[in-house]
Amino acid sequence: MEILNIDYEKYKLKNGLEVIFHKDDTLPLVSVNIWYKVGSANERKGKTGLAHLFEHMMFQGSENVPKEMHFRFIQEAGGTLNGSTTYDRTNYYEKVPSNFLELILWLESDRMGYLLPALTQEKLNNQKDVVSNERLERYDNQPYGLAWELIITHLFPEDHPYSWPTIGFMDDIKSYSLDNVRKFFETYYSPANASLVVAGSFDADQTRDLIEKYFGDIKDSHSFTQLKNSIPGLKESIYLEKKEDVQLERLHLAWHSDYAYGRDDAVLDVLSDILSGSKNSRLYKNLVFEKEIAQDVSVFQYSGKLTGSFIIIATAKPGIKSEQLKEEIFKELDNIKKNKITEKELTKSKNGIKSSFIYSLQNIDSIADQLNSYNYFLNEPNYFAKDLQRYENVNADLINSCIEKYLTKPYVELRILPSK
Amino acid sequence: MEQINRSVKPSPTNEIDFSLPEIQSFSLDNKLKVFFVQKNDLPILQLNMIVNAGSKFDPDDKKGLANLTSMLIDEGAGNYNALELSDEFDTLGSNFNVGASQDNIFLSLQTLKEYFERSLDLFSTVITKPHLNQTDFDREKRKVLIKILQLKDEPDQIADSAYEYLIFGKDNPYSSSTLGEEKSVNNISNEDIKLFYDLYFKLDNFALIVVGDSSINELKENLNLLLAKWQPKKTIDISINKTVRSKTQIFLIHKEGAVQSEIRIGHLSSERNEDDYYSKILLNNILGGQFSSRINLNLRENKGYTYGASSRFNYYKNGAHFIVSTSVGSENTGNAVKEIVNELHSIRKGAEQKELDFAKSSTIRRFPSNFETNKQIASNLTAKYIFSLPDDYFNNYIEKIRSISLEEVNQAAEKNIFPEESIILIVGDKNKVFSQLENLNLGEVKQINYP
Repeated sequence: MEILNIDYEKYKLKNGLEVIFHKDDTLPLVSVNIWYKVGSANERKGKTGLAHLFEHMMFQGSENVPKEMHFRFIQEAGGTLNGSTTYDRTNYYEKVPSNFLELILWLESDRMGYLLPALTQEKLNNQKDVVSNERLERYDNQPYGLAWELIITHLFPEDHPYSWPTIGFMDDIKSYSLDNVRKFFETYYSPANASLVVAGSFDADQTRDLIEKYFGDIKDSHSFTQLKNSIPGLKESIYLEKKEDVQLERLHLAWHSDYAYGRDDAVLDVLSDILSGSKNSRLYKNLVFEKEIAQDVSVFQYSGKLTGSFIIIATAKPGIKSEQLKEEIFKELDNIKKNKITEKELTKSKNGIKSSFIYSLQNIDSIADQLNSYNYFLNEPNYFAKDLQRYENVNADLINSCIEKYLTKPYVELRILPSK
Repeated sequence: MEQINRSVKPSPTNEIDFSLPEIQSFSLDNKLKVFFVQKNDLPILQLNMIVNAGSKFDPDDKKGLANLTSMLIDEGAGNYNALELSDEFDTLGSNFNVGASQDNIFLSLQTLKEYFERSLDLFSTVITKPHLNQTDFDREKRKVLIKILQLKDEPDQIADSAYEYLIFGKDNPYSSSTLGEEKSVNNISNEDIKLFYDLYFKLDNFALIVVGDSSINELKENLNLLLAKWQPKKTIDISINKTVRSKTQIFLIHKEGAVQSEIRIGHLSSERNEDDYYSKILLNNILGGQFSSRINLNLRENKGYTYGASSRFNYYKNGAHFIVSTSVGSENTGNAVKEIVNELHSIRKGAEQKELDFAKSSTIRRFPSNFETNKQIASNLTAKYIFSLPDDYFNNYIEKIRSISLEEVNQAAEKNIFPEESIILIVGDKNKVFSQLENLNLGEVKQINYP
């Protein structure tokens, strides 16, 4: 598909920083997107959540940018900005009117190279409080909010890099010292461990010069070993139960599955769509629409650099037990194994996926982030068409072999039960 | 190589050249209004339909009717039952959604150009020939009733809807959530849905908004063909009793074991379409409308009470309110309320010129990025339609913002921010927060049950 062929230029600075350009003059906007190849998987037990806390510290100013001014300068320019942390990476992104591109390069380079001189205990204490509240707001104070944490701590072996939540455990969040933060920066935040995408309306020659000017003198200091990918297994299924102040019982099932862009990753994505992606998907139709034993059901393949997991979540209607949901879910998986999914189901899923690729091209920030993502996982920024091809290649036999390979293996089952 | 001096903040290069997309409008043969923005850079289209049929039209004893109608409308239409209809859209890779708000029912469609005609055909089938079957009704009604039950688990949602209940007062239709309550939803019959549909889906106060890869002739032809047989009747509207503010009151909804408190503080405000709309945008930008605003910097970046705190003016077609929202660790509930109330008092004493300069700069320069995706453009046009904004609204927006003086912003603060006539609502664990709230001396802390 020609429309998914995204032109780009890629090069490397002497200090190892990868740079990717994508020109699009539709609007006078430019998007800057940096990925640092560090996430919560690089943490260790007892100091979980450090990568995410660190992301917060990156917004607290740097040697030449006073506290609060990182945000202010970008907002004053009419820009938007944010960052996010996953298991595998931390990203930072801005979108500004194109005439403010140099401002962004200055800000991003200052915090990439010169964050530590501006780091203070006061800033750290403040952001530890903010992150503690983020954890409370998004997890502890949400119904079923701790389910994910319970699942991954049991699904993955102890000390597996994916066995703790990205936000970190509360005790760990409270325990970070300035020294922890400094060491983290020195280890992971260097140009050779990052890639910079500039996408939108800009002059490539001028921008190359500006990037050399602002990023060229940042020293490459990183020193760490890459984590290795591996698909762990469970010897036997694990059953967990938690009582909570909720109205309805909820069942979670989690299996080990393939890593991002692994052979089976896209097949599992399509399977999840066929199970729960629409009104006439297998589980939605069966559990929610026809039998009305579930209020909702969702299925997803969650994959990272090292490995993945396949998750099914269903909320029981009042008076219905998880046991019944579980039976129906396994029955449906068996049914697919025996009778295979239909061509029509495949077409529906594939068309939906194809459309969503095209819809996503409307947004320059999402293109920028996707270029960085493909570059990080596959070393090829323009992977859009090939990525779509992964989904086009899925067929009923592949779906069945994935069910066999992953979903007949031991799993983690978590039931959250109303305490009253 | 250019010598670098990092301490100098780079200046912008030449001003950018941004031109607004052109809004074209026409009426179909049956008088349905259509607003169209042609955008041919990608082969996709966005279509929004706004039906003047929100939950404010719900009868008192049948709250939740508009929402349930919106849920039923795509449970089968024309030759398709509910599952087949969903399959039809999915097979085209088109996203079709329906939802209800207090003012309107919204239907939206995102589709590839190659499937536009077929998607549009389905879309018009949904709005002109919905089945509204008893079986589908029974199922969707049960789903809503359980959704209402589930809301008891969501402290932020409890806070949002209880707040609107408290400020609008029970006689005002905006005081009810679109979902309705258990009792009122139980009162709704499938016959009610059909009547509601007949009444509101056949009126002439619809609007259709289309953005994307088409041309005006192509669009006219398609729409006339599909919607021609549909002959709308004259519109109706309702009048809404105005409610007034009263002296500050503080309410607590107990949530056993909550580790945070949801805080909502605010009051009724003047409606949209008034002269001070632009002053209020800038005022709110300074006070709590963005990350670097007074309220967020104080509560988050200075005190560390919260992950985020914000304020906004919330506009409905026949009403409006001002609201500050945040959630804080239980131990900081009293302190956070105190800081917010202080900020409201403080903004009434005036903003500084440099704050206004910042607010203007960020608002004006951000304007072009509000027109990036088809959805964004369609939602801008939707707001323009709902609030009957002038045709040159977007063309004049930047100039209007630029022209606002500090004096006007300060007047807007005095006329629109009322810390002494506010509702203060906390959803949290009373055992942890009650005494903190009492110690604020803002009046008696009234514990209420909601919903």
